Amino acid sequence: MSLQRCQAEWEEIDQEYRQLQETHKVYRHKLDELTNLQTLCSNSVSKQRKSLRDLNYNLLRCLKTSDPKESEQIKAIQTQIKEKQHVFFDMEAYLPKKNGLYLNLVLGNVNVTLLSNQAKFAYKDEYEKFKLYMTIILLLGAISSRFILNYRVTDEIFNFLLVWYYCTLTIRESILINNGSRIKGWWVSHHYVSTFLSGVMLTWPDGVVYQMFRNQFLDFSIYQSFVQFLQYYYQSGCLYRLRALGERNQLDLTVEGFQSWMWRGLTFLLPFLFFGHFWQLYNAVSLFELASHKDCKEWQVLMLALTFLVLFLGNFLTTLKVVHQKFQKNKGKLGKKE
Amino acid sequence: MLYSPTTIKECLQEWEALEKDYQQVQETHRLYRQKLEEVSKLQDSCSAYITRQKKKLKDLSASLEQCRETLSPEEVSAIEEIQDHIRERPNVFFEMESFLPKKNGLYLSLVLGNVNITLLNKQAKFAYKDEYEKFKLCLTVLLLLFSFTCRFVVTYRVVDALFNFLLVWYYCTLTIRESILISNGSRIKGWWVFHHYVSTFLSGVMLTWPDGRLYQMFRNQFLTYSLYQSFVQFLQYYYQSGCLYRLRALGERHNMDLTVEGFQSWMWRGLTFLLPFLFFGHFWQLYNGLTLFRMAQLPECKEWQVAMCGASYLVLFMGNFFTTLGVVYHKYKHNRSKAKGL
Repeated sequence: MSLQRCQAEWEEIDQEYRQLQETHKVYRHKLDELTNLQTLCSNSVSKQRKSLRDLNYNLLRCLKTSDPKESEQIKAIQTQIKEKQHVFFDMEAYLPKKNGLYLNLVLGNVNVTLLSNQAKFAYKDEYEKFKLYMTIILLLGAISSRFILNYRVTDEIFNFLLVWYYCTLTIRESILINNGSRIKGWWVSHHYVSTFLSGVMLTWPDGVVYQMFRNQFLDFSIYQSFVQFLQYYYQSGCLYRLRALGERNQLDLTVEGFQSWMWRGLTFLLPFLFFGHFWQLYNAVSLFELASHKDCKEWQVLMLALTFLVLFLGNFLTTLKVVHQKFQKNKGKLGKKE
Repeated sequence: MLYSPTTIKECLQEWEALEKDYQQVQETHRLYRQKLEEVSKLQDSCSAYITRQKKKLKDLSASLEQCRETLSPEEVSAIEEIQDHIRERPNVFFEMESFLPKKNGLYLSLVLGNVNITLLNKQAKFAYKDEYEKFKLCLTVLLLLFSFTCRFVVTYRVVDALFNFLLVWYYCTLTIRESILISNGSRIKGWWVFHHYVSTFLSGVMLTWPDGRLYQMFRNQFLTYSLYQSFVQFLQYYYQSGCLYRLRALGERHNMDLTVEGFQSWMWRGLTFLLPFLFFGHFWQLYNGLTLFRMAQLPECKEWQVAMCGASYLVLFMGNFFTTLGVVYHKYKHNRSKAKGL
């Protein structure tokens, strides 16, 4: 290219650059306005919430000393107040909020609220892909450690991978909860328990007792990764179908357990899940037996036994509750028919 | 509410007032969502502009280089002028991009997913940086106390394991937070980021080292070293914060400059006293590496952790020592050229 053409090109680029600077200035300005609006919105929403809560309380007090007509009025207002609370919850999904303790410790006070529905959904989608891929990697890792490589080093790497995987899941799930996902109780805690379990496995030194448990542990890991893979794969499809039918929330997630919506097509997973839970119980019992072995000097054995027991109890009882609820519902339906 | 309504009539009045406020809230929220849309569009437009500009500048640079070969001296100086301008642009783009949402790098993508962690105004960035430094300071004090406890108070492998887990978690968290800071415009470079990954690895390997004669041989040296390192890090963060604050007030340093575990050029102004402490720490790392290599050659040594830790300490020593030496050398040359200038 000749010098003149270069210079002409440069002029053009410079012109665009000036435009960019202008646009960027406008952007920064609008960004500041947006931040102010965010603060204003957040404050007014929390103020309204508080006022409505107080009003509700006072209305309840009034209810005791009111006549029927007034009671009706009060009840109508209370219904409206409840609706408003829902509206506020939805509004807040688009406003930045403070992180919980865990996210604060790990990330600091960077805002993790995704500000549009597509972004939230895309994030959830990515979380599920992450779980699927990592489960496959863990499956392959467990198979290699069990049948191909027989070194404590590769076992360590596998355990480190488990610790990292569960830690990352806890971080991502905290972000999802911050963004309106309703993942509850045990299905979140059990990732913390699994992190702890893998961490303790990590510190268990090689020895007679370790070798006695190693193969059982790797077999269990292979089975668990396989079942998790089945779950995520089939749950995604099922969730997709139910969301299209409008029967589930956009941000419902695949989990490592059985949830109420899974009766529609995923009942075949139940026996696999229960078998996995009983394997966890079996692991705990084996470890308790090993702990009373004469050669056993390691504290890890007892600690792992307890942890597997906690996992079994949590998993089994939570899943049993879902089955029980379904059973009750079916009985109720039958009762009605008759 | 200004008063507590006790009668139905008062409640109803309160309800009316709240209804009015609610309309206001809805209106504000609507405006907010609208502005959010506008800002989103501007973000996309700015990002697109910058990408286009970068590409065009790259092409132009290549063409200019080609042109250069066939021109007269004055034309060459015209080209050099343009090239000077081109060289300045990346800095401007970096600054602009620190206010635009962007895709996360590999590490953050793996850990967090594609949640956007760009802080969108200067105060937020500064507050985040401030929090990061408080976090380092607090954790350093915690690690100091913990290593003191392990060295002088309790002597159990379990407590050592807990200490190592804390170290692994601490360094991992630092890597995450530093990735977020870099995404927000902080210029932490090369070794000072990488060495946290090496430290994570080292602590992880220490974690898996089973109890035994060799472990007991190294344990006290390791804990004493950790004690010293935490102490020096504490000194650094404490004095660096003050120094940075002063320099920022004088406008001589960037807002997003951070305290680091090393010596940087701006530290010559008041923090030179830290240098001998730092070098002593580096040589302690070398000593750790050599001790471990010697232990690895003992006949009773069956653990792979010994050689691996030895190699890691060596890497840490070389990285720390040569990076710091680089800063000292740079200063020395700077002083010499100043003296020559006079």
